[in-house]
Amino acid sequence: MQWLTIFKRENLEAARNFKWVWVPLVFIILGVTDPLSTYYLPEILDSMGGLPEGATVDIPTPPPGEVLIMSLSQFNMLGVLIVVLMSMGTISGERKSGVAELVLVKPVHYHTYISAKWAGTLGIVAVSLFLGLLSSWYYTNLLIGDVAFGQFMQLFLFYGVWLALVVTFSLFFNTLFRSPGMVSFLTLAVVILISMVSNVLSHILTWSPGLMIPHLSTMLAEGSVPGELWAATSISLATIVILLIASTLVFRTKEMA
Amino acid sequence: MTILTVHDLTKTYEKSPVVDRLHFDIQKGSCVALLGPNGAGKTTTLRMLAGLITPTSGRIAFEDFPDHDIRAQIGYLPQHPQFHNWMNGKEFLVYVGQLAHLSKKEASEQAEALMKRVGILEVKNQRIGKYSGGMKQRLGIAQAMIHKPKLLMLDEPVSSLDPIGRREVLNLMKELKQETTLLFSTHILKDAEDVSDELLLMHRGKIIESGTLQSVRDKHRIDKISLHFQTEPDAYVADLEGLEVVESVLREKDGLTLWVKDLEQAREAILERAFLNKWPVTQFEVGRTSLEDLFMKVVNDDAMADHFQA
Amino acid sequence: MFETIEWGIIAPLIVIELILKIVALISLSRTNTTYGPKWLWILIILIINTIGPVAYFIVGRRGDG
Repeated sequence: MQWLTIFKRENLEAARNFKWVWVPLVFIILGVTDPLSTYYLPEILDSMGGLPEGATVDIPTPPPGEVLIMSLSQFNMLGVLIVVLMSMGTISGERKSGVAELVLVKPVHYHTYISAKWAGTLGIVAVSLFLGLLSSWYYTNLLIGDVAFGQFMQLFLFYGVWLALVVTFSLFFNTLFRSPGMVSFLTLAVVILISMVSNVLSHILTWSPGLMIPHLSTMLAEGSVPGELWAATSISLATIVILLIASTLVFRTKEMA
Repeated sequence: MTILTVHDLTKTYEKSPVVDRLHFDIQKGSCVALLGPNGAGKTTTLRMLAGLITPTSGRIAFEDFPDHDIRAQIGYLPQHPQFHNWMNGKEFLVYVGQLAHLSKKEASEQAEALMKRVGILEVKNQRIGKYSGGMKQRLGIAQAMIHKPKLLMLDEPVSSLDPIGRREVLNLMKELKQETTLLFSTHILKDAEDVSDELLLMHRGKIIESGTLQSVRDKHRIDKISLHFQTEPDAYVADLEGLEVVESVLREKDGLTLWVKDLEQAREAILERAFLNKWPVTQFEVGRTSLEDLFMKVVNDDAMADHFQA
Repeated sequence: MFETIEWGIIAPLIVIELILKIVALISLSRTNTTYGPKWLWILIILIINTIGPVAYFIVGRRGDG
């Protein structure tokens, strides 16, 4: 089974170069940052000496669900950056170095090669997101207040679709360009563009994948999945499928020369 | 029996043909050298045969397997093979073997056998990043053979190696040609003469001569005269070219080589000219052209320097 | 200051950061070539939390690792 062969090799490489270690660890660190800083906010302010003598300032503790949303926002900044940087050379690097030549002279279908590489990256990203959000959930429950496990899983699955979309964009640009720098630049540009446009036109583009986090916040507050979230998820999944097909087609026409 | 037929194969980049209407076939069990100066289009041709790039037009047909993925029948070694340097040699061979539809067990056995065959078994568990150039080239040959291809194609297999490495790889190729059909490219005539039985001489995207070594040799056996002078020979070139019996004049390092139509007439005419003009001739030699001369004549306009380096 | 900090809560974070640094240093010791001098990367990994090791993993290594 060629697909598994490539997929396993991807994971072996990620294990040998410690990608399977450092990406999950960084997501865990990102995940615990917000529950901890929320919990210690009074002490932190105090230590800065910002409060005048005798003044008591009530810092409202956000609802526990909001803390998880804050963690998601962390993933949406630094997490996305890491996802883009760790995936920028998945295919482009192999083509630049020339290893891809030795793989593609073997009877391997392009869609096998591309989908196995996509799954390899997605695996690390999904596990990292899961562990990161799990840490955030654990610390939030410990320090701030209860969030149901079901809600945590909802956050993970919905937000995971958005990160999968980021991975897919990166893979798509990987098939278009040979320079990992170019790939990461374009992927970041697209992600930032989607987020910015969605935020400015949030009342029109309610279905935009870039509005995943506000929709998730609504979901926690209302206790049910808003229709916009389903729309954004469907659009994301459809885009992923289209991009994967486009990647294969592009890759076929882009010669290894 | 013909194993591969190439018909009107053309590759055009930005409107200029790099490979121009190639037409040849390869017999099963033969060893063919694709010979030509750098830039002749050898690599492009091989890459099309290997399925890495798509021809602009033309047809490549594997006689036995008209409908299948031809890559399954081909082993290909690029000019500068690159590996996953973090893998060890055996891991890499098993990996590409599995990609060529071998089971893990088959791939593993075949990998060991091939590493022994090409002489790198003792480094099978070493990271490829630590391999020398010759070891990488041999690993490259092993990866090309892992799925027992019907046709083995090597692109400039020895050009990046030191003299010892090239000797070893050339000897290995001589052994391999007993077992499989071999097509390799080179810009060095001697390597082609050394290993191959057949020749495809390529220049500026076209095949300008082909056949067995002997037939090409015979066909181009024409008379030549080499002249050496006490002084710089350039002064006499124009004069000699003016002679009707002289076809062309090639300036060599230490003299001139003349291709002539008729040896007797030419000898008379040149000696007469030399006598009358009191040319300081130090050496006058009559001979016949070798393959080397032919190759030089063909490529001397743009690739002579390259040939002398090699 | 920070007398209210419960070390049981912070300790896992410290352990994770330590693992990250150690793994980065192991990788650095195995790599033949880096962009920039190795000693500089050692300092970056040790001094800058999280970002130091991450920067090393993303841009520090040359070639296939």
